[in-house]
Amino acid sequence: MEPILEGLGLAFSLYNMALVIAGVLIGVLFGALPGLSSPLAIALLLPFTIMLEPVSAICMMAALYCAGTFGGSITAILINAPGAPPAVATAFDGYPMARRGEAGRALGLAAVSSVTGGLLSLVVFIVATPLLAEVAVSFRPPEYFALTVFALSMLASISGRSSLRNLIAGAVGVLVSTVGTHLGTGIERFTFGFHELTEGVEFVPVLIGLFAVSEMLVQSQTADMAVERIRSVVVKLPGMDDIRRVAGTVLRSSGIGTFIGILPAEGSTVAAIIGYNEAKRWSPRKHEFGTGVPEGIAGPEAANNAATGGAMVPTLALGIPGSGTTALILAALIAHGFRPGPYLIQKTPEFVYAIFGAMAVGNVAFLVIGLAGAKLFARITLIPRTFLWPMVFGFSVIGAYSLSGSFFDVWVMLIAGAVGFLMRRHGFGAAPLVMGLILGRMLEETLSQSMIMYDNEWLRLLESPIVCGFFALAILGLAWPAIAARMAARRSREKE
Amino acid sequence: MRRPAPGRVHRTDLALGLTILALVGAGFYLCTTFEEVSPLFADSIPPEFFPRLMLWVIGVLALLLPFEHAFRRKRGDSGLDEDRKDAVRPIAYITFAAALALVAAAEWLGAYLTLVAICFALPLLWGERRWTPLAAFALGFPTAVMVLFTQAFQIYFQPGVFGLSLN
Repeated sequence: MEPILEGLGLAFSLYNMALVIAGVLIGVLFGALPGLSSPLAIALLLPFTIMLEPVSAICMMAALYCAGTFGGSITAILINAPGAPPAVATAFDGYPMARRGEAGRALGLAAVSSVTGGLLSLVVFIVATPLLAEVAVSFRPPEYFALTVFALSMLASISGRSSLRNLIAGAVGVLVSTVGTHLGTGIERFTFGFHELTEGVEFVPVLIGLFAVSEMLVQSQTADMAVERIRSVVVKLPGMDDIRRVAGTVLRSSGIGTFIGILPAEGSTVAAIIGYNEAKRWSPRKHEFGTGVPEGIAGPEAANNAATGGAMVPTLALGIPGSGTTALILAALIAHGFRPGPYLIQKTPEFVYAIFGAMAVGNVAFLVIGLAGAKLFARITLIPRTFLWPMVFGFSVIGAYSLSGSFFDVWVMLIAGAVGFLMRRHGFGAAPLVMGLILGRMLEETLSQSMIMYDNEWLRLLESPIVCGFFALAILGLAWPAIAARMAARRSREKE
Repeated sequence: MRRPAPGRVHRTDLALGLTILALVGAGFYLCTTFEEVSPLFADSIPPEFFPRLMLWVIGVLALLLPFEHAFRRKRGDSGLDEDRKDAVRPIAYITFAAALALVAAAEWLGAYLTLVAICFALPLLWGERRWTPLAAFALGFPTAVMVLFTQAFQIYFQPGVFGLSLN
């Protein structure tokens, strides 16, 4: 009980509350702007939060994560331009509802469903994290190696257009993580004589480049695009009729979202799409979906925000990111000198409870801020891109530079930006690369330790049933896209 | 962008796969240039093992790239070309070149003037011609950012050859 109170005390201190509110504001703002997203906001914030207390920094990012997911829905509903990928499904019914003059009702439904999903997933987060950590504390390097392989295999089914390209991007990330001194022998790898690379590639400039600079290059091509004007919106909370109508959908989607969030590598976007599909499948008014039905907003919104709490479970309990954004939070934890994993909750439980508190406050805060300021946040889309993106680039340069006061990091950021731009153009996602980069070191370290344990006899890895279980799940994870496609094809044949 | 060939092989992805394979080859070569491991560490996994393993994985997956379209077409899914159906507009290259130039000049200009240059040059490149807001932005935003970071966060920024900084 003491760590819970201590953690909540930390989260509810005036200073941390102010940072949480700032995180919510930044999150809603970045979420609402098409092109800007919560991963981008966290990547930009990371260098500046290094100087904060670790608890304060992570609380701020956790609140930003929740709020950013909701922020995307504002523009999805009002102008059919999802501010962030998890809000794509919200636009299917949110925008038609707004078009028939019920924008306020749509926003209210989105906010309430989002908060409910977020809070329900936090309950799972706070119960499941210590339990999972307790199981994981008995893991030895072979089990961790197998778990990391499983997490990377899930990149095959992460959101994005192509499983193959996600896997390539993940493998490239793992390869980049090998840059620097090899821990086992002290030999330098791929450093090209740059002393700045002896300790490996810094995460932060790479993250800023992949998310912010590549997006700026994409946006440079649409700088002259006209921006839709926002109509006057009065947001209203859903009435009892609406609440009764969507209650089942919200509960179901919250469960789906939390479960998908817990799966390594899966994130809010997948959760939202499944949440929408399930809402449609269970609805007696299936044919009305896409015309502006409340369930079509509640389903994806509850699911995408529930995924945020779920995604924190493997991130904090195992050190395996539950989504692209939590990969960045994991990078922040590492930058603050923490080793995420079961020992984090065992040694500093109050830290995990503080994050829980911050996310809970974040959820309530974005309900208030989101509802009160929806009109204002939507107006932010009116900021000319010709000013907005140079601002983002300015912050990127300052952020990359300020990390270690070196222009080398700024160059790394630019290279990562160009690589990210080319990758996106050819269908490779930035999130899988980040996952690979973050998990790569763990993968190599645990493999080396396992081989020392087993005298370089590879097959002995299979002596552990847990290892076999994770490998089986990894094979399933890799095969899942093909299985799912076959199942879908069979269903459509049966329908015909 | 080149159109996909009617057969099984997608030409753009073939070029992409070959480029990745060339990079994988370069990676394999670089692995041969690592220093020799001391006999003391002969029992541990050699430093080139893991990078080579990843290069193998990337290489094998890259071999499948040109055929991915054919697999997906069978499933009636052809969304892979959506982001590259239009050619990259020159402004993206120009923006990147400007970013490179600005960062190259940053050590000489110092952080403050670099930010001013970014906030003036990029909007101008992107077609902004409203001079008053542009001037206000190019001076106001960098000043606000520098004041915030030097005063509130106590970050030291290089003043550059003109010695101009808000440290």
